[in-house]
Amino acid sequence: MHKVSPPLSIKLSIPSEFGYERVVREAVASFARRVGVASERVEDLKTAVSEACLNAIEHGNAQMPGTRVDVNCVWENDVLMVRVLDHGLRRYAGHVAPCIACKVHGEAPPRGMGLYLIAQLVDTCGFESSPDGGNVLYMSMHTRAMA
Amino acid sequence: MRGVTETLRSRLWQAHTAEWWRTMANVSHDADPVERVVELHLPSRLGYEKVAMDAAASVARRMGFSADRVDALRTALAEAVTNAIEHGNAHNADTRVLVILTVRPSELVVSVADQGFKPIDKAQIAPAPSIEDSFSRADKGGWGIWLIRELMDEVEFTTAPTGGNQVRMVIHLEKQS
Repeated sequence: MHKVSPPLSIKLSIPSEFGYERVVREAVASFARRVGVASERVEDLKTAVSEACLNAIEHGNAQMPGTRVDVNCVWENDVLMVRVLDHGLRRYAGHVAPCIACKVHGEAPPRGMGLYLIAQLVDTCGFESSPDGGNVLYMSMHTRAMA
Repeated sequence: MRGVTETLRSRLWQAHTAEWWRTMANVSHDADPVERVVELHLPSRLGYEKVAMDAAASVARRMGFSADRVDALRTALAEAVTNAIEHGNAHNADTRVLVILTVRPSELVVSVADQGFKPIDKAQIAPAPSIEDSFSRADKGGWGIWLIRELMDEVEFTTAPTGGNQVRMVIHLEKQS
């Protein structure tokens, strides 16, 4: 019998500054552990959430002082959904599979792997439209192994 | 009749919660250029204080607090959030706990606000409960506020802008000699 769990959520808002993504990472990891995400998957989620926040700080908010990054986490029906919202000063969307060999050989910048990495680490991810024009990156993870 | 009452009650909760969110949304962010604010909204469910503890510990470590001070902060925050869930929000699943971490150059200010369904018992804010009284209580509790005062540098009990209970705790960053 499938047990439908009541939704549980947290909301987090941080200054758009490098370093604060760690606070989000810890809070989301703590929430994920609480709702029953397996520990190795929590590590994946931490990396994905950090990357998403760094993108929001660097690209979405263009490192503009005084901007914020908001993170919402909702756990419902055994799915943990994390949304990272920025002010959308710069749009960014879609992910281009990077040329890993080029990066290893130093022919391409080592960065620019964020979205590719996120896609590898979570179950689903993508962009949603936001009424106020910001970028909204969502990432989801199932809290129990798929049979 | 029961259905109507349930609907009405649910509407009232929603209205109350919406108002609370609106008030909280007016909290100014980063008004002071040397101040940084992290805001966290939690469900009123025991266990989720861990999320606040982990977030605050991350901020405190980043500021350079020693491991002991970070542990003290975790314990104080656990007590404050648990009080908000159990007492201020009376375990109501529709309520939230708001934790605001304000990072300043020489201190970290942590405020915990509930929605004030039950005002804080003034007797509980008194310096220390007696051990005899605690033993006579079924839950052996009542030490949370005393503990918070022992662990934090400044503690203040106020009313949140929304009318809920608010505890404001400050931990000072000691200069490394």
